[in-house]
Amino acid sequence: MDFILAGFRKAIELLLHGDAETYSAIFATVRVSSYSMTVSLLAGVPLGFVLGYFRFPGRKQVRIVVDTLLSLPTVFIGLVVYAFLSQRGPLGAWGLLFTLPGIAIGQTILALPVVMALSASAVENMDRQLRITLISLGVNRRQLLFSSLWEVRHGVLAAALTAYGRVMTEVGISMMVGGNIKWHTRTMTTAIALETNKGLFAMGIALGLVLLAIAFAVNLSVSFLRKRV
Amino acid sequence: MTVKDAVYQINDVLHRYAVEPVLRVNSLAIRQAAIVGLIGPNGSGKSTLLRLLGFIEKPRRGEILFKGRPAGPFSKAVRFRVTLLSQEPYLMRRTVFKNIAYGLELRGSRDNLRSRVAEALSWVGLPDEVFADRQWSELSGGEAQRVALAARLVLKPEVLLLDEPTASVDAVSVERIKAAALKARKEWGTTLLIASHDWQWLYEVCDEVLQLFNGQLVGPGRMNIVLGPWQARPDGYWQKVLSGGQEIVTTAPPAADAVAVVDSDRIAVADAIDSSKAGKNILKGTISRLVLEKGSRSTVTTVLVGAMPFAVRVPPRQIESLNLYPGREIDIYFSPNSVKWIHPGDKKTS
Repeated sequence: MDFILAGFRKAIELLLHGDAETYSAIFATVRVSSYSMTVSLLAGVPLGFVLGYFRFPGRKQVRIVVDTLLSLPTVFIGLVVYAFLSQRGPLGAWGLLFTLPGIAIGQTILALPVVMALSASAVENMDRQLRITLISLGVNRRQLLFSSLWEVRHGVLAAALTAYGRVMTEVGISMMVGGNIKWHTRTMTTAIALETNKGLFAMGIALGLVLLAIAFAVNLSVSFLRKRV
Repeated sequence: MTVKDAVYQINDVLHRYAVEPVLRVNSLAIRQAAIVGLIGPNGSGKSTLLRLLGFIEKPRRGEILFKGRPAGPFSKAVRFRVTLLSQEPYLMRRTVFKNIAYGLELRGSRDNLRSRVAEALSWVGLPDEVFADRQWSELSGGEAQRVALAARLVLKPEVLLLDEPTASVDAVSVERIKAAALKARKEWGTTLLIASHDWQWLYEVCDEVLQLFNGQLVGPGRMNIVLGPWQARPDGYWQKVLSGGQEIVTTAPPAADAVAVVDSDRIAVADAIDSSKAGKNILKGTISRLVLEKGSRSTVTTVLVGAMPFAVRVPPRQIESLNLYPGREIDIYFSPNSVKWIHPGDKKTS
């Protein structure tokens, strides 16, 4: 028990004194998750809206595929992205293996189905009367789409939060595609795994606390936003 | 009525959601600034007709002309002129103010938004200072309905379509909604189409009441609908026995489950009808309601025969001479030959 308490004390120390290695992992995590979330949201929300709003041939089949991708194991994504980005792979020339953008590609594959599926569900559950109301009030087709999307903003926000949670906490992709390179591609989760294996709990606990703090801050902001809009 | 005089002209419209048609209207014209009521049982096509007239949906067949020109969903000709308040209106996830201002903003009409929203709220009896900043989720059912109506009235529409506007709201809201709807017609000459089960209200305020059954218009005039099944009689006529044991006698129906339609104008009312002279279909009933009809000044008298209500249009003089009042027992009579038929399958009157 003492070593855990000592680990907590040391963790606070590392954070308060701005330990460079700890902060390097934090910044790497924030950077890479920002990349992946930006792409996932930009692509996933419109695709999810289309999937939930429109009726087109093959829609159910697409939905099944997207729902299946929700449970993609991160190590499998890591494996596939590694294979594509490695020198022998089709995208090897891009030189993205063991880089943060490389990890971001894997994380985007992880987050995109989450954003799509949950946004589509939010749109599907939209009240049928919304469309009637909006047309009755005089929208054109473009306004109908944007106003409908705005009405399901809380559902989309929940989708983004869920995806962000998966991206922030995954280890497999970051470890396999990023290689856990110190000062370079070491993220919070890979650092925690490594330090724990070494029996050094302080940095792991410190990063764990930061992860919790980020999750708390994000949820707080979302809760604030929900009340405002 | 020529197309020129009508705000709506419906030509040969058929609409369906699955295979079976849910609405079929061969021809219908609605005059500008008229108040038109729509009555009919649930599933008779009232809401579908209003959605078509509101250009929310496009009919599968036929055309709807708005002021003589074909129009459809998102048409520029109708987008800012026609508005529908549906049966369960949707309030957007925002404040009351933003809900009411939304339509004005779509029209680029942003001057004096605050005061115009306040005025619209006052029309439906909701104080601006109490309600404007409330969230949609902080309203009761009746308040939400009134806010939704205010969001339409603030647009000063040329046509206002109301689908069961007073269903499932409290008595105060009912009165406010009724008054606000009529205000639109009085102040801006808005054409009003109102679907409601409150036919007493419709007959009081409407210039014309259309009756729908099984997706088609029956009438013109107030029709009595009698559902089958019908049984053959030895004398060649057919009959249906009402609760209480009295019989409605008709000519042969197109099918045993056909629906009979009896025009309220074809039913006579009298103290005691001589059965030897009148023959069949003398039914004893009790007057349950008298409603003055706005246009004709006749009184629509509801006579309960067993559990079946019959509407009979009675001229004012006869009301006085027969001393008709609710609770009075009276005879009604109609000829078996005056019955028209709707076959549930083909949805055509014969």
